[in-house]
Amino acid sequence: MIDFEEELKKFHPSLEIEEAEEAIYNQDLTDMADVLVKMIKDVKEEEQR
Amino acid sequence: MNCYNCGCRLSEKNFCTSCGADVAVYKKIIHISNRFYNDGLEKANVRDLSGAIISLRQSLKFNKNSIKARNLLGLVYFESGEVVAALSEWVISKNIRAEKNVADDYINAIQANPTRLDTINQTIKKYNQALVYCCQDSLDLAVIQLKKVLSLNPKFVRAHQLLALIYIKSEELEKARRELEKCLAVDANNTTTLRYLKEINSVSALDGDRGQSAKEKRKSSEDVIRYQSGNETIIQPMNVKEQTGFSSIFNIIIGGVIGLAVACFLILPARISAAKVDMNAELKSVSEQSDVKSSTIAELQQQVKTLTSSNGELKNQVSSYEGDSGTLQAGNNLIKAAQLYIADPSKVEDIANVLANIDMENNGENISREFQSLYTTLMDDIGPKVSATYYSTGYAAYKKGDYANAITDLTKAFDFDNTNIEALYNLGNSYDKNGDTANAQKTYAKLIELFPDTERAKRAEANIAQLNAQDEEQ
Repeated sequence: MIDFEEELKKFHPSLEIEEAEEAIYNQDLTDMADVLVKMIKDVKEEEQR
Repeated sequence: MNCYNCGCRLSEKNFCTSCGADVAVYKKIIHISNRFYNDGLEKANVRDLSGAIISLRQSLKFNKNSIKARNLLGLVYFESGEVVAALSEWVISKNIRAEKNVADDYINAIQANPTRLDTINQTIKKYNQALVYCCQDSLDLAVIQLKKVLSLNPKFVRAHQLLALIYIKSEELEKARRELEKCLAVDANNTTTLRYLKEINSVSALDGDRGQSAKEKRKSSEDVIRYQSGNETIIQPMNVKEQTGFSSIFNIIIGGVIGLAVACFLILPARISAAKVDMNAELKSVSEQSDVKSSTIAELQQQVKTLTSSNGELKNQVSSYEGDSGTLQAGNNLIKAAQLYIADPSKVEDIANVLANIDMENNGENISREFQSLYTTLMDDIGPKVSATYYSTGYAAYKKGDYANAITDLTKAFDFDNTNIEALYNLGNSYDKNGDTANAQKTYAKLIELFPDTERAKRAEANIAQLNAQDEEQ
């Protein structure tokens, strides 16, 4: 049986248009390619030491 | 595909031909990203929007610079009613690649129509308000808000789901099912939608066990005719007979009675109240006019009073000029006396008679300087002569014992010549002899005052003393 209160918690308010700019700035855009590049860079630095 | 180190285009080799960087793992990451993008695209093609969103987000987690994946994600968000999320993705996409980017067209399409943008914002606000109502347990208000939201944005999946959830809560399973079916039409494989549907089906199955009641329900639902008129569904019962004959007349009478009651209890008091208000206003206006008129009347009465008093004064003035002793008559007498004097100055008696008619005491204020001057001239000239004449006749009367005439003539003699001490003395004697003690004393006192230290004054004093002694004796 569906628990109304529990289901309701899964619904979150939608972002309004005025809040879109802030949401875009706060979005974490780090991807696996960034992680890889950072890892390679770290490895190279280790080797240089 | 470009090298992450130098940006050069990569070949089929596992290293960069330009900088020599190892790109094997990098290539695999990009390949995974592309694979997720393809998966997302396939799901989007079969309207599995929630699945497409998951795949495309995965794709972007591997390669954030995948413009195709980001634009498609935005498109899928937009289709499922998440306009702000769609705009966010397109803006980021445009930021990554400013030129030759289809996201630019999408953004322009939305921004070019301010009305639509406003509608979208209103939709989001109403949805958020509905969510607040749900949390406050105001489900009726939430339903109203959500219906408004869905009328503006029919593809808003989350709003459909929330509405379905409310319907499930209020055990309106059919309505919930309809909402969920609309959800599925937009997003065919949404997990939440499917879960709710499963729940509804299970509840319906439980209801099916209670077969009889369900059949009755169905039967009752079959006993009606349903048809669509515009946006409204009309439900007309089939087995209800129309009332005819006496009952119709009875209903008309009841309707008439109700109408009459409404007129008596609602319309009539309002009319009466309005009439009272009008009457009060009119009364106020009339009373104001009456006040103004009353004040005018009082003012006019005051004026009449003033004019009446001034008229009286003027009449008095006129009467003072007219009459035997008036100023006009005095003037005429003076002129007549002057004419007689000019004609024959020896006719002293005639002139004296005319002058005697002039009442100088009463007309003292009204006579002019010229009048006074002429009168004085005439009196100075004829006064002593007239006085002497009256004295002789008065004294003769005194001697004869005719005191009344003696008093008259001697009074005139003194009036015409107020230096005539003999006239005044004998006038006092005449009063004395005539028994008028008071006037006798007054006359003697006047003589003593005007002619002090004279023989006649001494005699007058003696006479007064004698009269006083007589009074004391009496």
